[in-house]
Amino acid sequence: MINLNFYNTSLTSLLVSLAFISGCGVTSRIEPYKQSQVVVGDGEGVVVLARKHHASHEAEQRIVDCISEGLSNGDEGLNVHNSGAFEDKLYPWFEPSMAPITPTDLSQLLEKENVREEVISTGVRFLIWLDGSTDRIASGGGISCAAGVSGAGCLGLGWWEDDSRYDATVWDINDASSAGTIHADVNGRSVMPALVIPIPLIARPQAAACRGLTQQLKEFLTSPNYGNGPNLSSQ
Amino acid sequence: MHEMANKSNLKSIRYLMGMVTIALTACSTSIWVEADFPQPLVDRLPVRMGLILDDELLDYVHYEELPRQAAYTIQIGEANELMLGQLFQSMFLNVEEFYEFPNIQPEMEDIDGILWPVLDRFEFDVPVGQRDEFVEVWMQYLIRLYDPDGQLVTEWTVSGYGKAELLNREQALNRATVVAMREVGATISTKFSDQPDVQDWLQDRQISTVLSVGGIPQ
Repeated sequence: MINLNFYNTSLTSLLVSLAFISGCGVTSRIEPYKQSQVVVGDGEGVVVLARKHHASHEAEQRIVDCISEGLSNGDEGLNVHNSGAFEDKLYPWFEPSMAPITPTDLSQLLEKENVREEVISTGVRFLIWLDGSTDRIASGGGISCAAGVSGAGCLGLGWWEDDSRYDATVWDINDASSAGTIHADVNGRSVMPALVIPIPLIARPQAAACRGLTQQLKEFLTSPNYGNGPNLSSQ
Repeated sequence: MHEMANKSNLKSIRYLMGMVTIALTACSTSIWVEADFPQPLVDRLPVRMGLILDDELLDYVHYEELPRQAAYTIQIGEANELMLGQLFQSMFLNVEEFYEFPNIQPEMEDIDGILWPVLDRFEFDVPVGQRDEFVEVWMQYLIRLYDPDGQLVTEWTVSGYGKAELLNREQALNRATVVAMREVGATISTKFSDQPDVQDWLQDRQISTVLSVGGIPQ
């Protein structure tokens, strides 16, 4: 009788798990907007910097590193300056409280001769400001585990949903203007069904946001006519 | 040479004291704040300064027991020396360091003013809940400017805030402290000469410099 009950419960859990698993995955929305036809030229570089002036959030260093690495990789890899080295060379002008918020602020900053010379020496033509974060927006379910003389096991289902929202704003240093913005909103639902052993099926929206933004930024910086409306996809 | 040996001995003693403190507090979390602070990209002010980095600043240790967490011992002395020494060296024509307020001798008459920075407050928060993602640090320094004769010109309060993602507690606390110190350095290097009392003092220095070479200010 006990075995039959356990069998029924397990079967129900399995069915619920399968229903959740079929609903899990990553949904992404990328909206590009380019307001000029500028492209990166020979010998010109880019730098990816995190916006850090918000009290509540800031773009994580790992996505800054991920995008920087992605932009520099491949056959058509760009010349990407290390973000930390750039902030150090131009210290204190790119610290959270001092960093230019608008292209007008950048224009005023570049009026300082020593700052302009230092920027020129880095070879950086485009600043890519990354603003946003990855946050857990929902979670639920539960898993119970027990151990006895004959063995141990878990039963249940846990799930959580993460949302990665980032804006990559590209500034052209040559004329201290904004060249455009790419908005990425990637939602990922992860599930962990447990039928004796918990099996985590983890969606990684931040990694998907990194891949999407990197691909779009490469096109943005190399194609003059880039940016025609939103790009929707789900995996 | 003798002074250099004394300075080296003092550094060794400070290092040993720090190590002993860490050893005594082995059950708690101990952090020795480490970083390379960049030189600020600012124009040098045309004055020659004395800089007092006293024992209180160089041996600064913050100890705090957080509720429901471990006790934290944070050594900030060496980071203070690195950050402030390099910062002021980049801001002025010349900087001479002292361990206490100097008795101005005739051969030291080329000092226009003396700076005495004090780390007044250090506060931090390490989150416990899963939803809190950042370690936060808030620091407040007092920057005192004196005339060479010991008269206080102004006392300027400078604060800095830093946060860092909570991946590893020690590393995050170190990173947040460094971010806060960099913020303090950014404010000092860009806003020092904008302080009204400092502006008046700088104007007096320039007038006396012009007079000393025989000119009359317009």
